[in-house]
Amino acid sequence: MRNALKLGLFLFIIAGIAGLAISYVHNLTSPLIEQQMEENKLNSFQEVYPGAKEVKDESKQYLNANSDPVLTEVNVVYQDHVPAGVIYIVEPSGYNGKIQLLVGFERAEKKITAIKVLRQSETPGLGSKATEGFFRDRFQEKSAENPLEVVTKETVGEHQVLAITSATITSKAVTSGVNAARQHFLDNFGE
Amino acid sequence: MGLGKEFSKGILRENPLFRLTLGMCPSLAITTSVNNALGMGVAFTSVLLASNMAISALRKIIPESIRIPCYIVIIAAFVTVTEMLMQAYMPELFESLGIFIPLIVVNCIILGRAEAFASKNTVLPSFLDGLGMGIGYTLALVIVSTFREVLGAGTFLGYPLFADSVPSALIMILPPGGFITLGCVLAFLNLMQNRKMAKRNRVTQLRMKQQAAQQISSN
Amino acid sequence: MREMLFIIIGAVLINNIILAQFLGVCPFLGVSKKLSSAIGMGVAVTFVLTLASLITWLVQICILNRLHIEYLQTIAFILVIASLVQFVEMVMRKKTPDLYQSLGVYLPLITTNCAVLGVAIINIQKSYTFMQTFANSLGNALGFTLALVLFAGIRERLEEADVPQSLKGMPIALITAALMSIAFLGFSGLL
Repeated sequence: MRNALKLGLFLFIIAGIAGLAISYVHNLTSPLIEQQMEENKLNSFQEVYPGAKEVKDESKQYLNANSDPVLTEVNVVYQDHVPAGVIYIVEPSGYNGKIQLLVGFERAEKKITAIKVLRQSETPGLGSKATEGFFRDRFQEKSAENPLEVVTKETVGEHQVLAITSATITSKAVTSGVNAARQHFLDNFGE
Repeated sequence: MGLGKEFSKGILRENPLFRLTLGMCPSLAITTSVNNALGMGVAFTSVLLASNMAISALRKIIPESIRIPCYIVIIAAFVTVTEMLMQAYMPELFESLGIFIPLIVVNCIILGRAEAFASKNTVLPSFLDGLGMGIGYTLALVIVSTFREVLGAGTFLGYPLFADSVPSALIMILPPGGFITLGCVLAFLNLMQNRKMAKRNRVTQLRMKQQAAQQISSN
Repeated sequence: MREMLFIIIGAVLINNIILAQFLGVCPFLGVSKKLSSAIGMGVAVTFVLTLASLITWLVQICILNRLHIEYLQTIAFILVIASLVQFVEMVMRKKTPDLYQSLGVYLPLITTNCAVLGVAIINIQKSYTFMQTFANSLGNALGFTLALVLFAGIRERLEEADVPQSLKGMPIALITAALMSIAFLGFSGLL
């Protein structure tokens, strides 16, 4: 019995030392990690909304139990203290799980500034092409007034988006996310 | 055995992946690009080095009956430290290796080296053993990932190798590609070994024949 | 209920833990030479994995998150899993010696099975609720058992097949696993 206690105590001490060492490194690295995440976020915001400087997360104000569950974050872009645009984070379901993407809107002309896929687990080489520039460009400067529709033929109208070859489900998922953000944008920031 | 051999055995003769077939999970999952393989190799080697040294230094203090839990705690601590350092200084690599960084804890190679080597040797040989095993494992990961990235994505370290018109064999970077590549590499190594054995057998047979002939002629 | 069913089907067929996520490959290749031992291993893993996931979920929510020491996750989880395996082994030896006879040998192997730790971490990463954690870990465990038992069935036949010398053993096993993995790819997009 005493032996068991001694062994337990030894293991406890080892675990304690390990825990202390880890928390020391944690204190050292956590500010760096946080700073990096902040910077990354601002960088990707600027990718979908060029020139965004003052961005505030106002999800609490704009999202409630009734809003579309696909929407996860509403970030308002301020220019000279006036809300000039909105950047949404949406998570529609793709072929292999959730796709996380950013969608930027401009209020003055009611158009999409750009989109960016943050995280996805689509089929490599097919659906994963959604992260590439050519697909992103297909959403750029589209009007936010009407729902976007996915097409597979080369001729593309004003409210249409050309799908990625052999990845129609992924294309539709991304577009449905954009549409959800678009609807919320029109309802809340339309005027 | 000399210190040099402690180092070199892990690279070829006892290569953890190719010879001992240990640590299969990451070798299949993260070998979709050479970049990931190198990152995983470095993370793995640093944990193995640190845990081998710590365990060999503490080998006389750790009680025999609870040594495995103690090893696990020590390894887990080093893995967590590596994980946090990677997140701080190499966030992109951290993101793409994902869950396989914390899973270094249960990589059989590390616990295996702790039990088979570090617990019986002093710090310096354990350091060399860890370095050799780590480099051997990294090398194996890089070999597997080179095949997968070149064939599956048509790139090497992210640089395109072929013209756009050359289609790439997507299957190689999908999950089945991992199994196929590792299977083929292992089969190739077996083939080489079988040839070597056959050659050695032929030589000994020849020698025996000569000896027999000499015996007959001397009679 | 519907959602739980989706999680289970997704874990068993679409994102099969071995053939698509590469967790638990070591026992998959190590304990698949005989059908009977594969079934034993499958049952043992199902039990431990589900139990361990639920306990680690509670540890994360009730202890680590409350005390803001999330960074001790890896070390805490592996200790919970190791002691759980020990505990199950002890209880089994005392209460059900017959079961211990058939499953006991697999239990120590489970501690270093990355499937158990992997699923426990994924449950937290995906911020599942308690019930979702239950569904996901049960699904993953069943997926593990399914793949292992199918694979063992094939390998028993392979023993009698005329395989080229250099492919014997591990290489042919890996290539068989590749073919199974291709077959399971067919399930993607099912939900």
